[in-house]
Amino acid sequence: MNHSPFTRISLTMSALPSAGRHRLLCADRLVRLRRLLSAVFAVLVTTLLMLSAQTSLAATGDFQETPSLQEAVSKGELPPVAQRLPDQPLVVATEGTPGGRLTTLMAKAKDTRIMTVFGYARLVGYNKDLELVPDILQKVDVEEGRIFTLHMRPGMRWSDGEPFTTEDFRFWWEDVANNQDLSPFGLPSVLLVKGKGPQFEVLNQYTVRYSWDEPNPDFLPALAAPSPTYIYLPFHYLKKFHPRYLSAEKMEALIKKKKKRNWMGVFLKYGHPYKQDNPDLPSLQPWVLRTEAPAERFLFVRNPYYHRVDSQGHQLPYIDEVMLDLASSSLIPAKTGAGESDLQARYLQMDNYTFLKEAEHRNNNRVLLWHSGTGSQVTLYPNMNCQDEEWRKLLQNRDFRRALSLGVNRHEINQAIYFGLGIEGGDSLLPDSPLYRARYRNAWAEYDPAQANRLLDGLGLTHRDSRNLRLLPDGRPMELIVHTTGEFTEETDVLALIKDTWQQLGILIHARPSEREVFRNRVFSGEACMSVFTGLPNALAHADMSPAQFAPTAQDQLQWPNWGKYYETSGGGEPPRLASAQQLLDLFRQWRHTDDASEQMQIWQEMQQIYSNEVFSIGTVAGILQPVVVNRHLHNVPEHGYFNWDPQAFFGVYRMDQFWLDPDTPAVVPASTDQNSSADNSDSKAGKPASSEGEP
Amino acid sequence: MLQYILRRLLIMIPTLVVISMLVFTIIKLPPGDYLDSYIAELQSQGETVDPKKIEFMRQQYGLDQPAWQQYFTWASGMLQGDFGYSFEYDLPVTEVMGDRVTLTIMVSLFTVIFTWLLAFPIALYSATHQYSWGDYGLTFVGFIGLATPNFLLALVMLYMANVHFGTSIGGLMDPRYLDQPWNWDKFVSVLEHLWIPVVVIGTSGTAGMIRRLRANLLDELHKPYVVTAQAKGVPPLKRLLKYPLRVALNFFIADIGSLLPSLISGAEIVAVVLSLPTTGPILISALQSQDMYLAGSFLMFLAMLTIVGVLISDLLLAWLDPRIRLTGGAQK
Repeated sequence: MNHSPFTRISLTMSALPSAGRHRLLCADRLVRLRRLLSAVFAVLVTTLLMLSAQTSLAATGDFQETPSLQEAVSKGELPPVAQRLPDQPLVVATEGTPGGRLTTLMAKAKDTRIMTVFGYARLVGYNKDLELVPDILQKVDVEEGRIFTLHMRPGMRWSDGEPFTTEDFRFWWEDVANNQDLSPFGLPSVLLVKGKGPQFEVLNQYTVRYSWDEPNPDFLPALAAPSPTYIYLPFHYLKKFHPRYLSAEKMEALIKKKKKRNWMGVFLKYGHPYKQDNPDLPSLQPWVLRTEAPAERFLFVRNPYYHRVDSQGHQLPYIDEVMLDLASSSLIPAKTGAGESDLQARYLQMDNYTFLKEAEHRNNNRVLLWHSGTGSQVTLYPNMNCQDEEWRKLLQNRDFRRALSLGVNRHEINQAIYFGLGIEGGDSLLPDSPLYRARYRNAWAEYDPAQANRLLDGLGLTHRDSRNLRLLPDGRPMELIVHTTGEFTEETDVLALIKDTWQQLGILIHARPSEREVFRNRVFSGEACMSVFTGLPNALAHADMSPAQFAPTAQDQLQWPNWGKYYETSGGGEPPRLASAQQLLDLFRQWRHTDDASEQMQIWQEMQQIYSNEVFSIGTVAGILQPVVVNRHLHNVPEHGYFNWDPQAFFGVYRMDQFWLDPDTPAVVPASTDQNSSADNSDSKAGKPASSEGEP
Repeated sequence: MLQYILRRLLIMIPTLVVISMLVFTIIKLPPGDYLDSYIAELQSQGETVDPKKIEFMRQQYGLDQPAWQQYFTWASGMLQGDFGYSFEYDLPVTEVMGDRVTLTIMVSLFTVIFTWLLAFPIALYSATHQYSWGDYGLTFVGFIGLATPNFLLALVMLYMANVHFGTSIGGLMDPRYLDQPWNWDKFVSVLEHLWIPVVVIGTSGTAGMIRRLRANLLDELHKPYVVTAQAKGVPPLKRLLKYPLRVALNFFIADIGSLLPSLISGAEIVAVVLSLPTTGPILISALQSQDMYLAGSFLMFLAMLTIVGVLISDLLLAWLDPRIRLTGGAQK
């Protein structure tokens, strides 16, 4: 167990955010005492771990040169590995052989951004158990949930070999975030607490501090997000495009040359780290882009200055090159089946499974089945902001939504469309989330047309027409158009089944597919009274992740676009008109202003309770399988996982930099499972204190 | 004649102006703009964007300006040879199109040659052997080619070629040649892949061409001059090729007008299905994502080629067929 001493240190530090300088000012003495004790404890543990870290570094001391870089090193083009790594690299408990090229398929040139997601080098990032751990940073000190001191890794370098220092943070803060031209709308929302930004200080070459007046629990998760909030940019490179560091006439010439409207256009074109579309932009990701757009295949090569090493002293990533081949999205399943991808999940769906499985023996692939991590695959959203007054009244009525939910035969949907492999229930968290309670998933989710009819009768909807449809109070028959994006045949299939069972309630629905933009605009304007989309985006949440998905916080929440817009744009749209929705919003605000883990937990439970009880979205079946096609020789890919955007970042938390190719031995299924589960165990062991002591 | 050409060239200017307005209006017709579809696309993959950022991008792209102002920026840019900027690729439009035009012309040329090679002999045979078994048989095959949806044929052929010949699916070459300079192996790989799109796109064109050539020939074959030639003992093949075929070719020359733009645009849908690196898929995705300058400039380019193509085919027709005279315009 000489692995990852650094990880453990950092974990402990982040696990005890209240360590550090607490002044005895606040009223609650008990809390103070507890924090003081934990602080003392943290110092002790840290010292001990420091010692063990020193010894294990001495033991595994020498790093091994990556074979593919050996030539460059011996020619003197590249410094040897020990000098490329930061003084204290992040040591990962895994073993493998470096080298090889991995090919994966994408649909558009813009998809190069997926390598930022798959690569998942973040200041702090989630591990497999979804605990926040420092990654690029060596550690993070959090005081009172509002003062964040970020300690960088001394000696760390950008992919071009230039040092990565606090100058890069200062550059972003002063010259990008607070530049009127580049950020005319101010700081990113996650950096604002009650409309106020943080105070930014550079403590030394490797330490920066952000302090708010009140807790900001969104800060660290935003840094760890699949599309992270960048609070640093490579100063040494981007100053070439910034007027503060460039004479006016040079800037003018540059704008002209790049055919842009103004200097901001030039700056954003070259300084967009998430997009990974500029081969010259220095990066901290495991692989960096080599190919200039436009192209049909994009080559990513290893970052020789990456900050992670394995327990054998090999610098990560193992794989030398990642190739993104572009193909039209409809062809990607066929190409994957023909063995043209070494790692593919994006653009594959459950209905490709039989074909892929059949192709498995022809090619060097195996097909794993992961899960999707959304609250429900096909989800109906009653639009509370529907324009039609009669319908709006009904849709805002809790009993009506409950009746609709009771009228969905989830078992039938599961059997007929998902081979009985899904998890039936309402749109709620999944059993793998620590916040999961069966009662939320089962609330109003059993098929009970009799009770549903009783509820509808109770609403006074007792008149029926010749087709046995119930009539609205103004006499129109209850015919409802359900809007879909029309992209997934499975949505239409599920709707066909729901149509049958809702007809027994006296409600007739018609599915209406439209283009995605049109679909969104119809929901936003309230023209669409009901829509279909996927459910809760993050159904594997932990208490320290934002519960925004349960409250009206964004316009793209299809059940209350206008109420969401009200929060999002601070005043556009309209405030929530339902007490329960307002309550959810209040709870969410409360969550945003607390750093106490048990309080966060309680808020989550309350929000789930309200949301599932009110049936704000009608879920069907969750935990749908996602085929993941893996080259037989690719090791370290977990047998099971969640292929989900947030917070998993698809392959991100499963650490693609640790996948490795062995041309001789195929990854034997049981062996790789063992390896992964042992890695899991060690991670969770190290991470345990984090969840018990509470997160920032 | 010179005056005629000059007049035609002058008429092109207002035509193009009107087309550019139409193109711009139609592209702007769907609700929303590029950023709306951009957000929608991100959302479908689970991503979200800060609304502030979108507002900023809208300003950067000039999408907050009124439509007429956007039109004038674009139109005046085109006069100076600047075709605008693609939002989607974050590159000038010319750079996006660059490489693809060559490959598109190549695919289209091969397709045209394939169509001619197949259509001409069949049409000649069908016309001279009207209502024979051969005529019916070939007509039947031709109609199947016309009736089968191209994309279906494309998918079936892709699958077969992959399973039986090991050709990689889609594209115009094996992926490993994509980033290599041209050499013999790459060329062979291109030929290996090229036949599928050529056959798929060609089949439908072939059927149409067979029918038209056959009908035109049938009109001619019963005319007295053919009988005279026969009576004089002209050999059958020469008799067929020298007179009736030449007369029947008028439609073929008239087709050149539409051939020119199709050389550049290729068959869009098939190209999308086969994921060919041609211009078709770019045009379609640009229209879908409302990448308006990319789509607009490309459509303008096609319109220009069409107008020029029609002029060329008109001139060719006049030269080829002495019966065609410029009476209408010249008298004014």
